[in-house]
Amino acid sequence: MASAKKVAANKAGLAEGPDVMPLRYGDDPYVWACWLYYEEGRTQGEIAGIMGISRATVNSYLADARDRGIVKISLEPARLSSLSIAQELKRHFGLTDCLVVPSDDGSRALIDRLGSAGGQALAKLLKSGDTLAVAWGRTTLSIAENLSVSNLQDVTVVQATGGTRATFAYTPELCASTVATAIGARLVNITAPAIVSSVGVRSAILQEPLLEEQFAVLARANKALFGVSSLRPNSTIHTSGFFESVSIQDYLAKNAVGVVAGRFIDPHGHPVAGPLDERTIGISLDMLKNIATRIAVAGGFDKVPAILAALRGGYVNILVTDAATGRGILNADGVTEFDQKASQRSRSKETVQLPSNFRTHIKKFLNNPNDVVEEMLDGVTKAHAAYIQPVKGSNRSLVAKNGPRKGKVGLVIGGGTGHEPCFLGYVGKGLADAVAVGNIFSSPPPTPILECTKAASGGEGVLFVYGNYAGDVMNFEMAAEMAQDEKIEVRTVLTTDDIASSPIEDREGRRGVAGNVFVFKIAGAACDRGLSLAECEAVTRKANNRTFTMGVALEPCSLPQTRRHNFEIGPDDIEIGMGIHGERGVVRDQMMPADEITDRIMDRIFSEMKAVQGDRVAVLVNSFGATPLMELYILFRRVAQRLSAKDISIEANWVGHYCTSLDMVGASISILHLDSELSELLHHPCDAAFLRVR
Amino acid sequence: MQTFSNASSGDIVLAMADRIVENRAYLSEIDGKIGDGDHGVNMAKGFGMAAERLKGKNVSFGQSLDTLGTVLMTEIGGSMGPLYGVMFTEFAEKLEGAEEIDAKAFSDMLHAGLAGVQSIGSAKVGDKTLLDTLSPAVEAFDAAIASGKSFADALEALVAASEQGRDSTIDLVAKIGRASRLGERSRGVLDAGATSCAIILKELSLGASGKLH
Repeated sequence: MASAKKVAANKAGLAEGPDVMPLRYGDDPYVWACWLYYEEGRTQGEIAGIMGISRATVNSYLADARDRGIVKISLEPARLSSLSIAQELKRHFGLTDCLVVPSDDGSRALIDRLGSAGGQALAKLLKSGDTLAVAWGRTTLSIAENLSVSNLQDVTVVQATGGTRATFAYTPELCASTVATAIGARLVNITAPAIVSSVGVRSAILQEPLLEEQFAVLARANKALFGVSSLRPNSTIHTSGFFESVSIQDYLAKNAVGVVAGRFIDPHGHPVAGPLDERTIGISLDMLKNIATRIAVAGGFDKVPAILAALRGGYVNILVTDAATGRGILNADGVTEFDQKASQRSRSKETVQLPSNFRTHIKKFLNNPNDVVEEMLDGVTKAHAAYIQPVKGSNRSLVAKNGPRKGKVGLVIGGGTGHEPCFLGYVGKGLADAVAVGNIFSSPPPTPILECTKAASGGEGVLFVYGNYAGDVMNFEMAAEMAQDEKIEVRTVLTTDDIASSPIEDREGRRGVAGNVFVFKIAGAACDRGLSLAECEAVTRKANNRTFTMGVALEPCSLPQTRRHNFEIGPDDIEIGMGIHGERGVVRDQMMPADEITDRIMDRIFSEMKAVQGDRVAVLVNSFGATPLMELYILFRRVAQRLSAKDISIEANWVGHYCTSLDMVGASISILHLDSELSELLHHPCDAAFLRVR
Repeated sequence: MQTFSNASSGDIVLAMADRIVENRAYLSEIDGKIGDGDHGVNMAKGFGMAAERLKGKNVSFGQSLDTLGTVLMTEIGGSMGPLYGVMFTEFAEKLEGAEEIDAKAFSDMLHAGLAGVQSIGSAKVGDKTLLDTLSPAVEAFDAAIASGKSFADALEALVAASEQGRDSTIDLVAKIGRASRLGERSRGVLDAGATSCAIILKELSLGASGKLH
């Protein structure tokens, strides 16, 4: 009964609403909408009902009202100032993030305010499974005391330096254990003094299995929390007794301005060598720099030179400080003016009315869009550790665990990311020996390609196989020259299987797409069988010449950095001949049945592939990313029908995600026209994360 | 005749790196409209890495350009890495052995860079690429010198032409690179490469101009 009443009341309201605008708003609907929204706190939906207009119109009234100056939204000046300083610090030093506590209102000590801000920041940054290295200091302890997180699992807190016998309240042991307790983490102490009496003692201690274990945990840390200590005369460094004062004088004489995690740095952030370095047990500056998230919390005017040095040295990528210190750091680095109004820039004037369900961004599983490739590679190397491992610690060059061997031609592949499992899924025994990994849709630079070449080399030369794109060609060619300088002979086969990308007369200019998986397979087998470099090159070239691919896109893909479509296809359109980065196809057409699409592709392939009755082929039906297996099998069904009608037999077939284009909806069909040599190599065993032939 | 010293002008390259790093977000934003949205990030990474290696070393202008070019060429990837890499290493090669850089040497340097970019890329003026900034800038510098203008005035002409060239990309349709797939949709937006090139040329000219004696 109650709900019926409400409906009736609403109806009454509606009947009155549209015609009668209360007199007090004049005849300005913008003012009316703003009053309802900002003063009465109503939702946009309620306002639409009251005013008798659509929700989208309410939305645009509210947006326009800001541009027209009817509504002014302002931030409280102290907060605005700290936001501007934080933004400028982030921009100027290229930080991942920055939190600036507003200027002192006199009610709380700076150390408390930094502690609570640091605690908040840490609570947001910590994730289940993290290993957090914790240094020591007054600020660090204050953070620990202000910290409380209850929903994390499997977090380890590791003490970043050894302990001390000095008698101050904020020892390394206490800082680490307080943080660990606050977040319910496992605690790993470094059970040795931070500073030992001699170099010999240090190396002896570090060889103890217990210390080795503790240092292994420290080396695994993916986050670090530390303060920055000044070297001014009355700073805690002097008063704590942590360091011997004679030694401090030595560092000061060498122009040290600050201490980060127990290590001395100069104004540029470079390490300062001194008497304690070889007697210190704890995290090194290099180890610190290798930690992905490095949170420094520090404030106070005397610390400006030290914090600036730590920022310049790249030891910090998340900074928590206060407004006065932040301003001081910026001034000291030559930034005197910065845009106070950055956050208040007026919004775009062109507010186009869009339906309320209109999407401008695609949902994706992301943390920081700039870290997509690194995070993916981190996952890849963990998931496929049985097959691949980084070369010299860099995930941008991955080498097969069981690939390169003496006397075998090495096979190096590579290209941009966004095509997974291309290219890294095809590295393993009997396939590629190493892969160079670029950014999204963007070639890797020559250095990782060179590292791959060296890792893949078994003294018999190295074969490069990659898709024919301008950027890849420039970078791989440079790497080939660099490899020649190191006495490694390199031959190159560019894959050009995309028959839609240019006419047959310009076969050399075609792009390499999903069919390159066939080419990798043949090349990998040739190399594994111990053929010479020239023979490997020749048969790989033949495989490429006999591989034909064509793709069809139904919907565009979207890039992680923009989360927008990188091109548009009309609601009822498809694009036949689309490349794997969304390159233009041969024709836009109306949506049509699957068999008809398959026929369009197969007709083109048959026109180029001079196959006759009784010939054998391998078939690859590949998803561009978002097309499910269900539909791929529908396509494969028709491919098989067409081949069978010509009495061509399918000797091998692969259906699935082999060379994708992020989340593009679409598929490609590749045919490898076999001969006896290619057939033998196709069946040669291989074992990689995404391709296995027994 | 106006010249500037090769040995004491390495800081021009550092200033150039600062400008690129400062414009990281802006360059990525314009790139995001018709490209991948990573131009600023990649450029800032490369120029930042080079600056890191040059800071406090007090090396010459030519050597600084060589370091910058080498970093871009070998460690950035994509197309921009090699293209800008070649431009700066060509700049550096032309300056080898020069103590004082006069207008003639500066022009030779620009031409070498332009030729380098053209030799590895296949773009032409009008294709909506960095060449739309670089090519008219070089021409304007030469024309100013030919008409008897001073080195300083010619540098001003170079900056004006590069900015005009950059702005010309708004009305162009991309013919090459990843934006080309958008065809007509790429019209109405600045090209990110042309924009970063204008930033580079401006800082280069301002730096040189401030050191003329």
